[in-house]
Amino acid sequence: MPEEEKDKALIVFDYIYHAMRAKPVLEEAGFKVREVAPPVEYRTGCDLAVEVDATDVDAAENVLIEKGVMILDILFMPKGAKLIPVYLTKLIKTVDYGDYVMVRCGNMKITYQKGSGTIVNISGGGCPDIPFLGMKLYGTVIGKGPRPRALGKTVCAYTLEHAYNKALEIYSKESTKKGK
Amino acid sequence: MLLLVGTIPIETLPLTYGQVHYQPDKLTIGDYTLEGQYVTLGTAAMISAASATCQALGIAEPYAAVVGDTGMGEGTMKLLKFLTEEIAGLAPSVVTLHYILPTRDPFINFVNTAHKMEKRPFLIADAGALLNAKAVKLAQKFDLFTPDPGELSFLADPDAAHPAYVQHFIFDVDQTEVPRLSQEAFAHGDAPRYMIVKAPIDHVIVDGKVAAVIKEPNIPALEPIGGTGDTITGEVSALISSGMDVVESCVAACKINRTAGELAHPTPATTIAQFIPYISEAVKKVVGHK
Repeated sequence: MPEEEKDKALIVFDYIYHAMRAKPVLEEAGFKVREVAPPVEYRTGCDLAVEVDATDVDAAENVLIEKGVMILDILFMPKGAKLIPVYLTKLIKTVDYGDYVMVRCGNMKITYQKGSGTIVNISGGGCPDIPFLGMKLYGTVIGKGPRPRALGKTVCAYTLEHAYNKALEIYSKESTKKGK
Repeated sequence: MLLLVGTIPIETLPLTYGQVHYQPDKLTIGDYTLEGQYVTLGTAAMISAASATCQALGIAEPYAAVVGDTGMGEGTMKLLKFLTEEIAGLAPSVVTLHYILPTRDPFINFVNTAHKMEKRPFLIADAGALLNAKAVKLAQKFDLFTPDPGELSFLADPDAAHPAYVQHFIFDVDQTEVPRLSQEAFAHGDAPRYMIVKAPIDHVIVDGKVAAVIKEPNIPALEPIGGTGDTITGEVSALISSGMDVVESCVAACKINRTAGELAHPTPATTIAQFIPYISEAVKKVVGHK
């Protein structure tokens, strides 16, 4: 029998930097969470909200406050309210350039050199932290240097993290094959 | 006068306004000098490309308003406040907004102020400004957007607040999807009159319809290079501010970027800093000035 749909609450944030930290913090504390787009009246163009069961909201709020994750507001959603989930896992494509591999996730692209795993280019996105991430990630070896999620503060950085993870997966498979 | 606006990821960069001058490895904005890797970071790549284009055209170099911001948005707020307060006095003919953190009221205030000017500037948005304009439903208060196919998918999806939420994403530009999505975006008010869809095949769009397609020279290695979309935005801004017709400027900017790519012989590891010095020669080849 399907589980009865529970009332949901939506945690929204002033800064996407805090929204990006919320999911791992809450999951680690044992909450069931989903990252979604906030309702229209809260949107600016770089948004991420976290949906939790309404019955968990007080406990979740306490965990976030304790971990220094700043909340803007909590909204109780009508049962059956449809929020747009993040589709990033569907948005991945890879392009082989011979000596290089480009992995694209949504509007973000990361390119690394085969063999060495060195990140040679990052492209796409429009938020201020993307050029900053480019500066920090260029020349680092994928999987060994800084991660977009750790340094980034926007949904573009969050999207780039997905591209980075896919690139790391491909590079790790390549390296394992070579090692055999 | 062309005014270029955006953030640069240097936390200590104060709000800076002034005329710009690009030289390889050096970009000056008023009294502030960016050197080394900072010359070609994000907004700086767009400014460098616009400056190089103006130099090649033999016209006055642009002005820029920039500020440090690494993603928290404080710089963006200062920048939009400055623009809103000063835009009427500066009286630019073209304003290009680039890397900013999307916001609601400060962005809306600036756009509305620009629209109240006696002579409204031609408004261009790329990068964060493009995402912002669509998210707050002000796309049609702009004149030109320069999206890539991913950003076009986002403009065409009325429910998406960011490309991360697009339900039907296109990766590859084809002759069906770009016209369809451009038309849809325009029809529901999420695209301005003019667009350049920047991709291996560039499309120039007017009122939701394809006005031109640019395919040659085709340089596949340009796609992974971070900043090659930013340079098109800089080039088209400079061309429009020179008085060239808008559609002609869009077509010429696409050709200039491709020609610069041809001259640079790039690989996927080429940096945008290595690419920008070829823009000047490409402008002369495509437009033929100076």
